[in-house]
Amino acid sequence: MDEPGRTEPHLGQNPYAYPTAIAPDTPPAGAASAAQTVYPVEFTATAGEYFRIWIVNLALTILTLGIYSAWAKVRKKRYFYGHTLIDGDSFDYRANPVAILKGRLIAFALFAAYTFGGKISPLIGGLFALVLVFAVPWFIVRSLAFNAHNSAYRNIRFNFRGAYKELLKIMIGGGILVIVSLGTGYPYLKARLVRFAASYHSYGTSSFELDRITKSLYGVYLKAFGLAILGFSVIGTGAAVLGIFKGARGGMSAGILLFMAGIYLTYLLVFAYAHARTTNVTLNALAVGPLRFTSTLGARDLAGIYLVNIIAIILTLGLATPWAVVCTMRYRTRKTTLIAAGSLADFVGTQTGNVSATGEEVGEMFGFDFGL
Amino acid sequence: MIEFGAVYYDGRTSARTVVNVRGLAHSLHITGANVNIEVPLTGIRVDARVGDIQRTLDLPGGAQLKTDDHGALAALFPRANRFEAWVQMLERQWGYALAAVVLTAVFTWWCVVYGLPLAATAIAHTVPRGIEAKLGEQTLATIDKSLCDPTRLAAERIEAVRKRFDTLTAGLNDGFAYRLEFRSCKQIGPNAFALPGGAILVVDDLVKLAQNDQQIAAVLAHEIGHVHNQHGLRMALQGAGVAALIAALAGDAVTMTKVAVALPTMLLQSGYSRAFETEADTYAFQRMKAVGLSPEYFADIMVLLEKHREHAAGTKEQGKDATSAGAPGTLDYLSTHPATAERIQRARDYR
Repeated sequence: MDEPGRTEPHLGQNPYAYPTAIAPDTPPAGAASAAQTVYPVEFTATAGEYFRIWIVNLALTILTLGIYSAWAKVRKKRYFYGHTLIDGDSFDYRANPVAILKGRLIAFALFAAYTFGGKISPLIGGLFALVLVFAVPWFIVRSLAFNAHNSAYRNIRFNFRGAYKELLKIMIGGGILVIVSLGTGYPYLKARLVRFAASYHSYGTSSFELDRITKSLYGVYLKAFGLAILGFSVIGTGAAVLGIFKGARGGMSAGILLFMAGIYLTYLLVFAYAHARTTNVTLNALAVGPLRFTSTLGARDLAGIYLVNIIAIILTLGLATPWAVVCTMRYRTRKTTLIAAGSLADFVGTQTGNVSATGEEVGEMFGFDFGL
Repeated sequence: MIEFGAVYYDGRTSARTVVNVRGLAHSLHITGANVNIEVPLTGIRVDARVGDIQRTLDLPGGAQLKTDDHGALAALFPRANRFEAWVQMLERQWGYALAAVVLTAVFTWWCVVYGLPLAATAIAHTVPRGIEAKLGEQTLATIDKSLCDPTRLAAERIEAVRKRFDTLTAGLNDGFAYRLEFRSCKQIGPNAFALPGGAILVVDDLVKLAQNDQQIAAVLAHEIGHVHNQHGLRMALQGAGVAALIAALAGDAVTMTKVAVALPTMLLQSGYSRAFETEADTYAFQRMKAVGLSPEYFADIMVLLEKHREHAAGTKEQGKDATSAGAPGTLDYLSTHPATAERIQRARDYR
């Protein structure tokens, strides 16, 4: 057991260059004079142990035709939460598998209705799509609430109190804006969404606060766009010069494959860049009580990890999946630190009611991506 | 007596207190700085063990203990979480993990080869014919909107093909409302489609390509086989099953890695589609025999289509044609069919 009240920073194996967020000219809110403690996020999961958990739970899920999947989800999440530590204490995932199973059954029914309804009649399909526009924000809000409510650290739960109506307004208004502005409004919409997701979270009674990020996000997406244009034009020019398209007759020539690999790699790099930078911008702008964060994800690192993961997963027919998941999470946690301008022991808990898992499961089934 | 170290969290603040816990006959005695409580065992909820992560004991009133002394907890709460304790026992050993790999592989293989097709066939039988026909109508509407124009064939040609069709469908009595649709589809080339519920779409170019009406009848018999065996519906169902199976298998994959599952999905789908083609061929041979046509005509039209395909491949690039866009159960002559020679051979060998 770690001793309580320790204030020595422990950096693990990775002493980072000190975060720019606490450079003298930009002190974290209200932290100028207080002694600061830096806490790394420790990640102690191992690929071997997670592989066994993953495959046994997968086998049980398949044998029970999916019913066990709710228990599998909880066990896997608990494994990762329990291996993510700050100041010697791990996170807890406390969801009830029965609630998740109920949510999954509802999600499955909706998904089946959506898939086959659209095939039988375009009217049903269109109606469903219209309902979905209004339902998606609801699912997202419920999903964030479910996850927050079931995540805890030191026996204090997280909360999410974002309102459905507000998210609906943001998504419809933002969606129209993005279309009217021919896509240039997207970073603004993204910033609004991130703000919604972040600032309605709280840890106990301490609300999450987010500095302005719109400008930074514009920078990120502008660069990502430039990167994509550059990559695609280099590949396109290269292909034209080499005359890849001329020789092609019906089948897949080596040149075409090379061209597609290049396109895919560019896409991977751009995706990794946008993901790394938006995560950094968001976390570096976040404050929870006396806590601030630094995130230093590298776009090239992340792209490399994705690429290696994909190759490993393909070559092992999927068996490398747990290894890939552990590697990615290890990298992400290694690049995240907390800077505390006060004690980690002074957060105050709240009482909250239960949250149903329907939103979370429907969101997962329909593939909404709304990560912070 | 059982004794173990733990950390106590009161649930009101995020403070942690290192405590010593003694297990008495019916209670736990917890002592530490500012903590000295006795809690009855019956009021404590212990979480299930996952790997080596710390265990949580929920105490009445919202406080918590955390410990990694798994031995002490097993002795104090021998009957807690028995199901998940069993799962944890499996998760701990490489032998079981290996068994799980084999089991998953075998079960997945069985599902793909037998389970899903069987389930799809059973479900397809229970779907009302009206709904199946709706499915076909929608596909036809989509094709009409984007790919095809009204037929330009002469009325007597259409009448001749119709006569052949009526002979083939006469007395089938399988509940399907068979009917012929003619379209001119420049982008598709010589082809025919079976739509769920009974509509069969013939492209003008196919009628032009055929040397005689018997050859057209051979293609129609094949398409009737698709309808009769509900291939369109079964394909949709099997596709959904494959998607669900792959989602279950790859659910953990990191966002970008999801691309890696697109390929196996595609391969499985084309595998099913080839099985359906063979099934429809067999049906066609039987049907042709029944109405007094030699399956030799099927071989002849296949040879013609193959020749046309090779010729077309020489003049323009052969990508995916429109049939892969969403008309399940179609007879997709134009896409690369590795087994065309085999299909011709089967027709010639059929007795």
